[in-house]
Amino acid sequence: MTPSVLAGLVGAALVGLGLYGLISNPHPLRKLLAFNLVGSGVFLVFGIVARRGAAAGFAFDPVPQAMVITGIVVAFAASALAVALILRLAAASGKVTLDPRAWTKPGEGGQ
Amino acid sequence: MIQILLVATLAWPLAFLAACFVRPWRPRALAWQFLAPAPGLAAGLMGLSGPPVSVSALGFVLRLDAPGALLLAFAALLWIVVSATLWRDKDARFGVCWLLTMIGSLGVFVAGDLVSFYLLYALVSLPAYGLFAFSDDPEKQRAGAVYLAFALAGEAVLLAAFALLAAGAPQGVGIAEVMAALPASPWRGAVLVLVVAGFGMKMGLVPFNGWMPLNYRAAPIPVAAVLSGAGVKAGVIGLLRFLPFEAPLAEAGGALAILGFVTAFYGVVVGLTQRDAKNVLAYSSISQMGVISAALGLGLAAGQVSAAGDMAFYAANHLLVKAALFVALGALAVRRPVWALALAGALALSLAGLPLTGGALAKLASKAQFDAGWAKVLATLSSIGSAMLMTHFLTRLVSGEAEAASETPVPLARVWPALALGALFLPWAFAVDPGKALTLDALWDGFWPVAIGVALAPVWRRLSVPQIPTGDSIVFFERGFARLVRLGPAFERADVGLRQWPAAGVSLLVIVLALLAAGLGDFVR
Amino acid sequence: MTAPGGELLVFAVLTPVLGILLSFARGGRAAEAITLALAPVGLVLAGFVAWLVAWSGAPLVYEIGGLAPPLGIALRADGASATMMVVTALIVPAAAFYAREKFATPQGGESRSALTFWIMLQAIWAALNLVFLGSDLFNLYVALELLTFAAVPLVCIDGRPETLAAALRYLLFALFGSISYLLGVALLYGGYGTLDIVLLGQKIEGTPLVWTAAALMTAGLLAKTALFPLHIWLPPAHANAPAAASAVLSGLVVKGSFFLALRLWFYVLPGLPIAAPAALLGALGGCAALFGSILALRQARLKLLVAYSTVAQIGYLFLMFPLAAAPAGGALGWSGGFMQVLAHAFAKAAMFLSAGVLAEALGHDRIAQFGGAARALPLTFLTLGLGGLSLMGLPPSGGFEAKWFLLRACAASGQWIWAVPILGGGLLAGGYVFRILAPALGDGEVKVKASPRRSQELVALGLVVIALALAFAPENFFEFIRIGRPLAGGGAS
Repeated sequence: MTPSVLAGLVGAALVGLGLYGLISNPHPLRKLLAFNLVGSGVFLVFGIVARRGAAAGFAFDPVPQAMVITGIVVAFAASALAVALILRLAAASGKVTLDPRAWTKPGEGGQ
Repeated sequence: MIQILLVATLAWPLAFLAACFVRPWRPRALAWQFLAPAPGLAAGLMGLSGPPVSVSALGFVLRLDAPGALLLAFAALLWIVVSATLWRDKDARFGVCWLLTMIGSLGVFVAGDLVSFYLLYALVSLPAYGLFAFSDDPEKQRAGAVYLAFALAGEAVLLAAFALLAAGAPQGVGIAEVMAALPASPWRGAVLVLVVAGFGMKMGLVPFNGWMPLNYRAAPIPVAAVLSGAGVKAGVIGLLRFLPFEAPLAEAGGALAILGFVTAFYGVVVGLTQRDAKNVLAYSSISQMGVISAALGLGLAAGQVSAAGDMAFYAANHLLVKAALFVALGALAVRRPVWALALAGALALSLAGLPLTGGALAKLASKAQFDAGWAKVLATLSSIGSAMLMTHFLTRLVSGEAEAASETPVPLARVWPALALGALFLPWAFAVDPGKALTLDALWDGFWPVAIGVALAPVWRRLSVPQIPTGDSIVFFERGFARLVRLGPAFERADVGLRQWPAAGVSLLVIVLALLAAGLGDFVR
Repeated sequence: MTAPGGELLVFAVLTPVLGILLSFARGGRAAEAITLALAPVGLVLAGFVAWLVAWSGAPLVYEIGGLAPPLGIALRADGASATMMVVTALIVPAAAFYAREKFATPQGGESRSALTFWIMLQAIWAALNLVFLGSDLFNLYVALELLTFAAVPLVCIDGRPETLAAALRYLLFALFGSISYLLGVALLYGGYGTLDIVLLGQKIEGTPLVWTAAALMTAGLLAKTALFPLHIWLPPAHANAPAAASAVLSGLVVKGSFFLALRLWFYVLPGLPIAAPAALLGALGGCAALFGSILALRQARLKLLVAYSTVAQIGYLFLMFPLAAAPAGGALGWSGGFMQVLAHAFAKAAMFLSAGVLAEALGHDRIAQFGGAARALPLTFLTLGLGGLSLMGLPPSGGFEAKWFLLRACAASGQWIWAVPILGGGLLAGGYVFRILAPALGDGEVKVKASPRRSQELVALGLVVIALALAFAPENFFEFIRIGRPLAGGGAS
């Protein structure tokens, strides 16, 4: 088993675990953690891509690494924004849920 | 000159409409709007003879030919008369709807390309809602909703028809161009079905007839007069424009003729069971539109190019007569002098082709289509039926309703005799060969079906027929619609379900897999 | 190679960014003034870019740092992106002008919500310009994320719990979508060693890798566009945001990710047989058009109705895929789909702004209590009615023009099935527009709490007039939006 395949399998496992969490876990904070798990898996895939150096034939392609770094920054920003929202939501309502029915006022229909 | 008038036919009423949006000008614009159809009247009169004229500007094409000119002139005249007498202190809302309907009603007769026709047809259909349905009266609201549903459905059907017409004629969307390409188009059959269905909804052909009685009963008399007179003719001009009379199409023509005759007799039979005089007039309109469709169907089957002109004349006659009959309801609601009743009687029986009236000329105009065989028999039977129905109308008129008087502005009631005389005799000025209607043969041919019809009417009254609810088949449409509405909560539940996180997340994954499968399907092949 | 005038593209992206930085630095009242002052600059830049593209008849390219792809990153304005830039430069300032009332900075102080609003509005503008101009798929990923990060705070700007929850839903689902997109990008880079749209479009082959990447990226973009059944976040987010924000979110932001989907299928993959996946996208779009309209019919609140109408209109956009990809009538499908993008952007923005005026004036937006409101707010209901005209697809309006093109494309390519959602959706739209207008125009009395701002009403009216004026778009406009579109495959030009 080459390191590339191993990294690929680990990446796939991370994405799978993250997807499961993202879909099935009702709590927003856990969803956020799951999103970061999926993100890590995807960044691993980028790493393999860099190793394969498909672009120009050199051993290590630096471009995907630049992308991973950018991606991590973006994911970090997203996580920060989500955490801030979760905290605001908790402060404003005392409960943290994404279920739309929790916010339905009687007689308003829909949301 | 005529080009200028043609543009002014639309531009002049549009100027009135624009003035309505400037508050200080509004009262004057509304009070003087009877002048708005004047260029249309002039253009119509000038366009009666001579070759077709067309103007194009801003991507729109206006085109005036003889059949359109005749209908345009008659419609403009009706709009002038009713607008001039109608105006009291109506609100701006009514005034704007009135002007919009007027623009559409005049415009459909001169529209020269698909898009303009579609726009003007929408104008004659949709704003009319505002002329009768803004009310707390649930019956009026119901009539308005039903009217709008049919109008929108008709628009959708026509849009499909026009898209097919345009797709079949790559060289342009002028009506002349698309109609020239239609006989060779691969979508000819679909276009014909859609055209008949779309305009049939406007004309009240069976089974799309239910909205018409509801509409006319809910509408005040001046509104009913213009809608039944001028408004419905938008459907007629549609059939005239979009049926390919150059190429004989036996099956399509035959089917349309059958549909037309069914409608003609259906209107008579249901109309005879009605007590409300407005309903009787509505069913008479349905029946007359059936006659026109039947004649057009026979013309289409035989490839008669002249059918369009003939039926334009027939429709122009109906335009003024039907409007005058509606006004008669108001004018004769309280006092009914004998001369007025005689005039109303002549007017009513004109629809059945009473000799010496415009109706006799209209009947003569349809002779080329109803020339022989079963068509002639059916046409004669429909004349007898019309005579029965109109006699029934006269008995309802005599029993009078005070409400009709309050709906009719006093000036309109005053000019009624002139309107009625115009409806009876103006067609004589426009007929191709009026002398033919004065031969003894023609007089007799016109007379005996009317006489039989009038004689049969009392017999029918003896039979105790149950009254069919206003709008007959509309009850089933409404029931079906109510059933559809009851599905609504199920959609809401589905929406709530789909918008749960797990469902949406799984949907996303399923979409990934489905797209992958769709892409790889090609790869594997 | 960078074309003359290519620097304009950089300026177009950086002008709002400059505004953001200045707003941060000066704070307080300055943010509002800076946004409004830079708006004409943005419009002029967008107009100038469009003029250059039209004049040269070829895309305008700027290679950042002078490095050509695949190593460098290019900005590229073709007919489609220049058009979208102009649309953005019209709608964002309109929303800003409208919002002066609500997000005015209090005298001598600084309000956090006002500052957030003005900065995020400019951020949306910058991100949208980058989305339209970007030509590198990873660069576009960043632009798309920026767009989401700028849009989310606008949803919850008033800090009520339900808007915070709506914003959180929006953010988390959008992240789900963007990670899926990013995975696709990684796979494509692994396969071809470049992410430049033009270069990829030349090299691409129908391998399982490419289809996997396309499926992942498309699904991600659909999640951000809120195509049925992924519309989980849209109704609460668009209905609860302040009116000016809703107008931008509904009119423009969802178009950003849609635009990328177009880029992917018609610029990266045009050489491949895309009929089957395009039909799948069309089917989802058709379902959206019908389902969204039915739900719009059932909403009790005006803003929710308008939001569900967006779900439906997004569906129409996706009918573009099967129709524009068809060998026959593809050009009609492309023109119609694009016209739908524009008509919906203007009409929907105008309707959301009107809904805002209405809610301010009446103190609620419950449709059942609109009886007679048109007499109190004639201009607003005129705007709603005209916007509805475009949504229903009645002439003269951009919505009609779009349907007219799309239906002819259906006929020309023999794909009858798409006529069903186009016409059926129009009928249903007629139903919900009727639901708004009929009671309002009827007899009745409403209590007006605050008389409407004439300037706000006029902004909305101006937008809807543009939506109607689109009906008169000349023939060479449709040639313009095809500039720079690859001709390969599908005969799609």
